Amino acid sequence: MPTRTILVLCAAVLVAAMAGAPFVLNEGFLRLATECLLLLTMAQMWNLLAGYAGLVSLGHQVFVAFGAYSLFMTAGWLELTPIWVLPVAPLVSAIVAAVIAVPLFRLREAYFSIAMWVFAEIIGALTMKSSFAGGTAGLPLATSKLIDFDWFEPIMFWLAAALTLGTIGALYRLMISSFGLGLMSVRDNDLAAMSVGVDVRHNRFVAFVLSAAGCGLAGALNFMGNLYIAPLAAFDVNWSVYMMFIVIIGGIGTLEGPILGVIIFFGLREIMTGPLGLSGGWYLVGLGVLAVVVMMLFPRGIWPVLRDRIGVRLLDVHRTPPCPAAAMALNELSGRTPG
Amino acid sequence: MIWVETLINGALLGGLYGLLGIGLALVFGVMRVVNIAHGEFMVLSAFFAVLLAAMFPSVPPLLMLIPVIAVSFVVGWAYQAVIVNRVIKSPDPLAPLLLTFGVSVILRNVMVEIFGADVRSLQVGELSRASLEIAGLSIGIMPLLTLVLAALLFMVLQLILRRTEFGRIVRATADRADIVRLSGVKPDRIYNYVMGLSLALGAIGGVLLAVRSSFTPFSGAERLLIAFEVIVLGGLGSFWGALLGGIALGMAQLIGLKIDPNAGLLYAHLLFFCMLLIRPSGLVSSKA
Repeated sequence: MPTRTILVLCAAVLVAAMAGAPFVLNEGFLRLATECLLLLTMAQMWNLLAGYAGLVSLGHQVFVAFGAYSLFMTAGWLELTPIWVLPVAPLVSAIVAAVIAVPLFRLREAYFSIAMWVFAEIIGALTMKSSFAGGTAGLPLATSKLIDFDWFEPIMFWLAAALTLGTIGALYRLMISSFGLGLMSVRDNDLAAMSVGVDVRHNRFVAFVLSAAGCGLAGALNFMGNLYIAPLAAFDVNWSVYMMFIVIIGGIGTLEGPILGVIIFFGLREIMTGPLGLSGGWYLVGLGVLAVVVMMLFPRGIWPVLRDRIGVRLLDVHRTPPCPAAAMALNELSGRTPG
Repeated sequence: MIWVETLINGALLGGLYGLLGIGLALVFGVMRVVNIAHGEFMVLSAFFAVLLAAMFPSVPPLLMLIPVIAVSFVVGWAYQAVIVNRVIKSPDPLAPLLLTFGVSVILRNVMVEIFGADVRSLQVGELSRASLEIAGLSIGIMPLLTLVLAALLFMVLQLILRRTEFGRIVRATADRADIVRLSGVKPDRIYNYVMGLSLALGAIGGVLLAVRSSFTPFSGAERLLIAFEVIVLGGLGSFWGALLGGIALGMAQLIGLKIDPNAGLLYAHLLFFCMLLIRPSGLVSSKA
C-alpha cells in the first residue's frame, strides 16, 4: 500500500475517533484530552520555529497571551459567542509577530531567545498595568452566558482536536513543499542555503508568524475553556518551558516527536501528581531531569532513536541526499590511482 | 535634588548589575554558551548565604561571602564538568541553550520545594541603613561599597585575563579551542575553571543583591534577564562596557520606580529594547 493511502486511512480513523470521543469519555478525561491536544499544537508550533527554522523562543507565552486576550476583549466588545470570535486570536498574534520580527531578527541564537523573553516580560508588565485588559485581576469571559454549557466541553474538545489534526496535516504538507525544504536547508546550513538562492530571512519570518498564529489560537482555546484569564497565568514562562520540554524529549525537528513528547509529558504528570502524590514543583523537576538526560544521551530526542530501532516511519519528511558530485569524483579517482 | 539622588543611587545599583552581567559574559566570551541557569545559581548562592547567616548568627553576614564564593566555584566547576561539557561540542548551537534552560527549570523548582516561595532577604544590620551626607545628598554606605567592590573585581578580572598565564590560556581557548590543544591545553578543563569563576562572580552579585532587595526562588529569571541586558547594552566582550550597561539599567530602573512605584524592572527592560532598536551593537562596541 502506498504511504499516501496509509496516511489518509490513519487520518480518517483519527477523525472518527476524535468525533466519537466525547460520547465515550467522561468529563474529566475529556478536559485532560483537550489540554493534551492544545499543548501538542503549541509544541508543534514551537518545534516549527526551533526544529525547522532554528530559532529558539523563550518568550512564546506572549503569543499565547495575545491570542487569549484578543479573544476575551473582542468577545466583550462585539457581544458575540466566543467561538465566532476565535479567528481574531491567530490574526492578532500573527500581526504582533510580524511587527516584533523586525527588531528581533537582527539577533541570532541565544540573543534572539532572550530578547523574546524580555519582550514577553515587557508586554506582561504592561498588561498588568492596563485597566482595559483587567490589570492584575484579569478578565472573565464577558459573553460566557451565550455559551451552551451542555455542549461546552465536547465542543472545546472538537475544536482542539480539529486544530491539532489540522496543524499536523498542514505542517506535513508544508514540510514536503519547497518552502519546507528551504526551511530545513536554512536550519542545516544557512550559508549553503543562501548560496543556492533560499531566502533565509523570508523563510524564518514566515515560520515565526505561523508559529505565533498557532500558539495564539491554541492559547485562546485554552483560556476560553477556563472562562477566565489572568496575566500571571497567560504570561507564565512555563508555557515556553512546556513547549520546549515536549519537543526536546520527543524529538526536535520531527513531526512525530512532539506527539511522543506530549504522551510522556502527561503520562509523567498523571503518575507523579496522582499515585505518587507529588506536588507540581517536583513534577517540573522530574520533567526537567528527563529533558536534560535526554539532551545529553540523545540530542535529537527519543523519537529518532526509536524510529531507527523499530524502523517505523510515520510522518516522515526526511530526504536522502543524492551522492554529492565531489564524493563521486573522489571515488572515481581513488579507483583509478594504483595502490 | 531628589532626581540627582535617584541618578546616583541608580549608578550605584548599576555597579551591582554590572557584576551580574560579567559572570555571564565571561562564559559566553570563552565558550559561546549563554548559561540560562546563571540567575538560578545566583539565587541559590543567596539562599546558601541566608542559611549560613542563620546557622552562625554571631558572624557578620558579609563574611559569609567567602564560603559562598568557594562553594559556588566548586559547583560551577562540577556543573561544567558533568553537564555542560557534554553538549558543548555538539554541532547544534542550540543544544547548550536548551540544556542550560532545562537546568534552570530544575533548580528553580527544587528551590521552591525546599525553601518555599516566601520572600526573603539577607540582613546585614546597621550597615544596610547607614548613609553618607554629601552636599545635601544622602548616599547609602552599602550601595557605595558594592560599587567599589564591583569596580575592584572588574580590575582584578581584567588583570588576571591580561597578565597571568591562566588568563592567556583562557583567551587562547576562547579564540581557538581546537588549536590550543597543540600546546597541551585541554579546553574542557579550562571551561571548568571558567564556569567556576563565572558562578563565583555570580554568587557575589547574588548575595549583594539579596542584601539590597528581597528574593524568592523565582527571582532567577529576573537576575538572568538583567545580566543578559547588561552584556548586550555594554557591547560584547567589553568589561567596562558591562559596567556602563549596568549603570544605565540601574538608572533606568530607579527613575522608572520614581515615576511609577510598582513598575519593577519594566523600565530597565524598555531601555534595553529601545537600545536594541537603535544600537544593536551595544553602547561600547569594542572587541576587547
